[in-house]
Order: sequence, then structure tokens, then C-alpha cells
Amino acid sequence: MDIISARGLTVGYGRMEVLRDLSFVIPEGRITVVMGVSGSGKSTLLKTLAGLLPPLAGEFDFAGARVDYRSEASLRLLYGRIGVLYQGGALLNGLTLFENVALPIRMHYPEMPEDMVRDMAHASLAQVEMAGAAAKYPAELSGGMRKRGALARALVLDPDVVFCDEPSSGLDPITSSLLDDLLLRLKETFKMTLVVVTHELRSIDRVADRVLVIDGGGLRFSGGSPELAAADDPFIRTFFLKRDSHDDA
Amino acid sequence: MSESQAEAAPDRILLPRRLRAPEVVGLVGDIQRRAESGPVILDFRAVEEFDSSTLALLSYVRSRRTGVSTVNIGGALARAEESFVRRPSAVPLETPPSGSRPVRFFRSVADRFLFRLRSLGRFLAMFGDEVYHLGVYLRERRGVYPGETWNQMFFMGYRSFPIVCLLLFLVGVTISISSADQLRLFGAEIYIADLIGYAMLRELVPLMTGVILAGKVGAAVTAELASMTALEEVDALRTMGLVPEKFLMVPRLLAITLVVPLLVAMADVAGILGGIVVARVTFGMLPSAFLEQMANTVDWTDFAWGLVKTVVFGWAVVVGSGFKGLTVGRSAEEVGRATTESVVLSITLIIVIDCIFAFVLY
Repeated sequence: MDIISARGLTVGYGRMEVLRDLSFVIPEGRITVVMGVSGSGKSTLLKTLAGLLPPLAGEFDFAGARVDYRSEASLRLLYGRIGVLYQGGALLNGLTLFENVALPIRMHYPEMPEDMVRDMAHASLAQVEMAGAAAKYPAELSGGMRKRGALARALVLDPDVVFCDEPSSGLDPITSSLLDDLLLRLKETFKMTLVVVTHELRSIDRVADRVLVIDGGGLRFSGGSPELAAADDPFIRTFFLKRDSHDDA
Repeated sequence: MSESQAEAAPDRILLPRRLRAPEVVGLVGDIQRRAESGPVILDFRAVEEFDSSTLALLSYVRSRRTGVSTVNIGGALARAEESFVRRPSAVPLETPPSGSRPVRFFRSVADRFLFRLRSLGRFLAMFGDEVYHLGVYLRERRGVYPGETWNQMFFMGYRSFPIVCLLLFLVGVTISISSADQLRLFGAEIYIADLIGYAMLRELVPLMTGVILAGKVGAAVTAELASMTALEEVDALRTMGLVPEKFLMVPRLLAITLVVPLLVAMADVAGILGGIVVARVTFGMLPSAFLEQMANTVDWTDFAWGLVKTVVFGWAVVVGSGFKGLTVGRSAEEVGRATTESVVLSITLIIVIDCIFAFVLY
């Protein structure tokens, strides 16, 4: 089953169209990687799917229901079922890591006993192997730790879909690989749907079940990883083989 | 060009093996000078060491009418030119603005006007939203981080108290000194108490407190919220299902509403104290006489109106600076600009609101 399906989606800022007329699906319980070169509009697409940037045209469904940007109820429903891992983590600097992770629980379930809040937050931190850093402030954490902490916050209310914006950016290959392992574990253990925006080839190879390739303001490829490997498209070949496009032409 | 020049043999300039920025700068003038007296052939074939200024020189002599008739290049430089200079730009060139100069001018003025109008509309909408969020919060008591209002009260009240009192004391002293001579001239020294009491309670304390809050609290609120916006923390709150305009703004609005009465009361005391000190030193007036005289002119309604005005100013500062902080772009430069703009916006709002109060109250 597809948890997200987009039809004729055009996204951008103001009058500037960044991506035009995209139609695609995101299958449930899989990792879908959105890839493309820097500035191609991957993060813009993710913002639209996460309910932060209204589409300029077209529409998309989330779990079978159309997302209506003009309806606060529709957006609230969407926010209640997604988690987002931002590029820089976006942890609130004035709160400790534990408080950051506990924040969504405290805000959505203010009547929940504090002991339960603590258990849920620590369980989420343990999932990303960050339980030991619960009392630290974001400024005291490394880039990789901040991202894992932010992932714990995104997971704490058991969302249906987790959007990850460039999870490996700015990380060394080892930390990046650990984060990829974590994403795979989440998918396999909790049957979670993940949408990962990246241009890291290593990550794409390891985690992607399905790939959306974005280039030139449109969708260049949409399909499974094996099909991508066999794709004849010059851009995709250039992207993966790192060959100068002039050589292919 | 004269016939003799046309027939003259071309002037060949053999460029050196090393051709980097210092050599290129020296060459440009020489090439132009020699090109004025006849055709010039630039021979780059010996160039082995070069940098981007060499490529810029190549582009310059090819694209501009420098009088260079032939350019000979080869080897690594030719390959570099092929790679870096002739490759078409990936970024489409901006189309030049259409229309005559007056049309463009009026269009730009109209665009700016519409932009300001839209900003005003968004600001008023946000003001309305904040009133709504505050009302909902007071009824439901949820959607705001516990303890945040106390933190904000500490920052806005406790941290602002010394500077507000000091400045208002000095304002009281200054107003008293500058009016003392005029009052003495008419033998009306006793009225210094009326003047200070009325001016402080009704006008100077609200206005000065508002301006100090704009500089201290407003700038801090904008800087904090703008940084949060730039670092995607505001987006993160939204996708967590929280309303940033409520989560971030309601504690600040509550805090300013609660601390302003205390600030105003202390600022009133400080300002009047300034007047008492000057009256004592200049006219030998006893503090008790000063207060007795002041009590004949001002009453609790003056204090109350001053309080109401300052609370409204405080709201204008918090909503204005919050608006600037939450509508900022993503760059560090925009964060800085928003902070400056928020202080200007807050002070402008304070003066405009004060003017409206003046029409209503007097």
C-alpha cells in the first residue's frame, strides 16, 4: 500500500517553481530515497510533503486522505502522523536532549504522568543509542549526536512516516554509516516508512528500497533500486558513475 | 585607421612562461597602448604557469575591441579555456527589466508599497492570532512549555529593572533641571512637583519604558526567534504539531503583561525621585512638600493610564519583534537585519500608539 501519493505536484517559493508536475508514490514500510544534485529541490519537496510549504499546483494524499493546506485540521492530522529529521537536527537549544525528546509528548499529552513521559523519552533515546546524553544540551553534542537526538524526537510519538533531510550531511563516513544502519533497523523492527532526502551514493546503495531521482525541475526516475542500477538515463549514469556528462554525450 | 597603419606589420607580443595576476595587470595597459598604433598578435603558446586572471585576460581580449587581431594559444591553457571559459553558464541569465526608466521607477515604488501593505496585513493578522492564542491558552492551559513564562518574566522584568530605574531617574533629574530656571523666573518653583508628577506618570515613564523594552526585550526576542527560524527549529515545532506562534509567543506576551506593572511602578518612583532630588538641591524644597504638591495634581488615574499605555507598548514590542523574528529568511545576514528592523518597528509602533492615546485621553 502507498502511504503517500502525489499527482501533478508543483512546488516552489512564491512565483518561482522549483519542481514541476511530479507524480509519484511512497510505499508503506519502505525506505524511499529522494536523490538529486544540490539545489535540485529535494528539500523543497520534503517541506511540501511535511506540510510546511503549500504546493503551487497539484495535490497529494497521506494515508488515503487528501492533504488540504487551507485546512488547519488536515495539516494537524498530517503533523500528528509524521516525524521530521532536519538537516541540522533543529533541536531546541534552550532544552536538554531529554526535554527536547519529551517535548512532543508533554505538548500532546499534558495529562500523561511524568514517569511515563520519562520512560517514553528514554526508550526513544535508547533506540538511537543516545540514552547516555539525555542531560546534555544540544550545544554540548557533536553533529552526529544531534542528528540521532533529533531522530529520537521524531520517533517518540511513533509516526507513520519519518522524513529525513540529508541525514548524512556534514558527518564522517563512519557516523553516516551508523545512521544508515539505524534507519534500516527502524524500518525492519517497526515497519516504519522513511523518506530520506540525500545525494550520498553510499547511503542510497545501503538503505533505498525505492528511489525518486530529481533533476532539471522534474522527476527523472521513480522506481526500485535494481531498476535504478540498470537505468539507461545519462544523468543517472553520470550521478552514479561520477563520469563527466560530456563523455557520455 | 590610416593607410600606413593598415599596411604595417602586426605587433607580436610574446607572453612569458609564467602569467599570473601581477603580470596580467601589467600587461593589460601595455596591450591597449600597442593596439592603438596597429594590429596586435598575442602569443600565449609559451605560457605554462597561469591562473584565473590569465583566463580572464583571454576572455577580455577576445570579447572586447582591444585591437588585438589574433590570439594564439595552445597546450594546457587552451584546455583550461575550453573547460572554464567557453562552457555555457548553467544559470540562466536574468532578463533585463522591461519598460522605460519612469515606468520601471513607478513599478518599483508600487512593488515596495504593495510589499509593505502585505507586511502590514500579515502583522495585523499575527496580532489577532496572538490575542486568540492567549485566550485559548488561558482557557485550556496547554500548548506552551511549562515554566517558560517564568523564564521570560525573569529576563524581561528582573534583567530590565535596573536599566529602566536608572534611566527614568536620570530623565526625572534632567527634566527638573531644565525646567527649574523657567519656573524660578515666574516664582513658580513649587509647580516642579506638578510638572514631574504629571509628566512622569502619564508620559515619560510609559514612553521611556516602552523604548527601553524595544531595545532590550524586542531585539532579544527577534534575535532568538530569527535564529530559531533560520535553524529550522520553528519548522520542527510545526511538524511536531505545535503552533510556534503560540508556543513561542504566548509565554512572552504573558510575561510582558505581568512584569510591566512592576516596572512601571518602580520607574515612576525612580523618575519622581529624580525630581525630588533636584527640587531639594535647587529650591531647597522638602520631599514631603514635593509629594504633597504632587498629590494635588495627579491621582491614581494618571498612574493607571500610564500603566495601561505601557502594557500596550509592551505588547506592541513583543508582537512586533516576534513578527520580525518569525518571518525572517534563513541567512545570518537576515537575522541581523530583522533584529535592527524590529527595534525600529517597535519604537515606531510605540510612538504611533502613544499619539493615538494622546488624542483619546486629552
